[in-house]
Amino acid sequence: MFDFLLETLSVLILLSAFALMANKRISSYIRTFRIQSISIALAAGIMGIQSSQAEGRFDFLIVCLLIVALKVVYIPHLLHKTYANVKYKVEKDFILNIPIMIIICCGLVLFSYFALASIEGLGQGLLNLQFVNSVSVIWIGLFFMISRKKAIGQIIGFLVIENGLYIAAMLSTNGMPLVVDLGIFLDMLTAVMIMGLMVFRINDKFDSIDIDKLNHLKG
Amino acid sequence: MGLLLQIIPVITVALLFVIKKNRIMHIISLSTSSLLLIIAAYLTGQVILYGTVEYSSLGRFFYIDALSIIILDIVLLIAFMVSIYSVGYMEEEIRLGKLAKRRLRIYYILMHSFLFTMILALTVRNMGLMWIAIEATTLASAFLVGFYSDKNALEAAWKYVIICSVGIAIALLGITLLNFSSLNILEGRLLLDWTALYEHAEFLQNSSLRLAFIFILVGFGTKAGLAPMHTWLPDAHSQAPSPISALLSGVLLNSAMYGIIRTVAIVNRNEGSSVYTGRLLIALGILSIATAAIFILTQKDYKRLLAYSSIEHMGIIAVAIGIFSPLSVFGALLHMINHSLTKSMLFLSTGNILQKYKTKEIAKIKGVLKSLPVSGTVFLLGLFAIAGTPPFSIFASELSIMISIFQEKFFGLGVIFILLIAIVFAGIALNLFKMFYGEAQDKNLQPGDGNMPGTVCLVVLLLVIAITGIFIPEGVKELIIRAQNIIIG
Repeated sequence: MFDFLLETLSVLILLSAFALMANKRISSYIRTFRIQSISIALAAGIMGIQSSQAEGRFDFLIVCLLIVALKVVYIPHLLHKTYANVKYKVEKDFILNIPIMIIICCGLVLFSYFALASIEGLGQGLLNLQFVNSVSVIWIGLFFMISRKKAIGQIIGFLVIENGLYIAAMLSTNGMPLVVDLGIFLDMLTAVMIMGLMVFRINDKFDSIDIDKLNHLKG
Repeated sequence: MGLLLQIIPVITVALLFVIKKNRIMHIISLSTSSLLLIIAAYLTGQVILYGTVEYSSLGRFFYIDALSIIILDIVLLIAFMVSIYSVGYMEEEIRLGKLAKRRLRIYYILMHSFLFTMILALTVRNMGLMWIAIEATTLASAFLVGFYSDKNALEAAWKYVIICSVGIAIALLGITLLNFSSLNILEGRLLLDWTALYEHAEFLQNSSLRLAFIFILVGFGTKAGLAPMHTWLPDAHSQAPSPISALLSGVLLNSAMYGIIRTVAIVNRNEGSSVYTGRLLIALGILSIATAAIFILTQKDYKRLLAYSSIEHMGIIAVAIGIFSPLSVFGALLHMINHSLTKSMLFLSTGNILQKYKTKEIAKIKGVLKSLPVSGTVFLLGLFAIAGTPPFSIFASELSIMISIFQEKFFGLGVIFILLIAIVFAGIALNLFKMFYGEAQDKNLQPGDGNMPGTVCLVVLLLVIAITGIFIPEGVKELIIRAQNIIIG
């Protein structure tokens, strides 16, 4: 039962990464990111219930609450606020057209499948596909960063990478030690705040958040 | 005592938030860095006596051995020099109107947080915590890179944050795989514990460990400035205030390289040979040296040139770690020390040049030796040193790396290595030596160094690298040999 739920969630998370790739507007990026984070929180919650019943461990439940507080509520709110304050709003934002990017994403999933197929012990049961799904989310996040020209798009891409990493760590290794998890959250939160602040400053100086304009330093 | 290393910078940062007077901020910064240096000296003594320093409190997270103390000593020594230099430098920047007076507080807060994250990265036992600390170094230094808040500085800071955060995220995937490889052997508190991983290295699962190494190499390699992930480095180093450039180049790159070395030690022990890690490290290393050589030949900005030279030296260290013979690892560790001291000295002297001439373009600068008698001379000799001329210390470590390459019968590699280093030498000589002679264009330029305490630091550093080029103190040699034994096992 639990395994089936986790399997479904990991596919949902991968699908949300594809959906993100097909999004055209910054507000829909933020919505998709929120949906993805909800799925991750659910996965953490399920694992939390499982481990608290079996071993009396509560760290997954703590992590689940943190994900809800940070990734579902606070960070999307922060991004909405940043976006609302940045006045420059041309919507078309990507370098290739969407169908081509989706096909490239399919290629990325295949790539991670073959890259990870060599690991022994991952092939047992469902774990393998879950791990492949989450590593694919990382690559799709990376590709999303490359394919978007707006600074906020890059922040979202970074967050999706972080989500992919998180779910990979959770599903493959039953989570890192709790301190490490907390530290990762702290780092991620600070990183997003710093990037958000920089978006403001870039908007101030360059009158746009188009990172194609950041091209003075060369050689 | 060791825990004070982590506590003192935090207290300093807290104090800096409440203090109003700039003078007192200078004093706090100076006393913090000298205190840290004293503690580091004490810990070095402990490491020489007992091998490691560890405490049972707080889940045994604190751990120092010979490898970490070497890098920790470099960090704190350079931090000490930089905080002395910063006093004069920042006062001058405020006087010149480049910075508002109230920005000094932010500068010191960020600088000491940066220092704290680096100390943390070097004193923890758990690889996961080390990852967190290395990621935090990026975050703490992001606004230092963009400190001048003009267009170029912002561009550099944005690139720095984005590229390094993504790189480090990839390293986290590596750490996850490292954790995965040990799941059947370790549990609970020992997960990701470096000493446990190292002791049980033979039993780790080989295939996931191999993948883990690639991700960690790419991830921490981004932070260490290895090509082709180096693109943030020249921008960040050239746009940051000069004391911060010195910290970035002399200290930050080493901390990231430290993460790679720790992983290499585990993977090689697991594999039983260094072929796998060696190939990857040597390839990235040679690529870094070659990239740096090309860009140094055509460089027009002296701070960028020094930044590319840092990429070159990180490449040399990567090659030496890749060779993995006792001599080459010895050379790599020695090279880390020498490169850090020399490069931070050079970046600090560019601070004096920049404040005098107000330009970073090489072509606009003439007659440095006349207008800056002391720091100009230091800069000139430092350039000879960084290019690998005897009697300076970089020559000694480069020579031992070269000898080890030939001893291990990598003849083709050795020839390419020497050729590339010769190109770098030519590039530095061609581009930079014309700065020193001739008459300055601006006739109103007053000769004289300014920033006396800072200039004294430069001279001290120059003396250190000149003396250690001829003989290495016994204690240092002892420490390096112990670290070498830890790495090779």
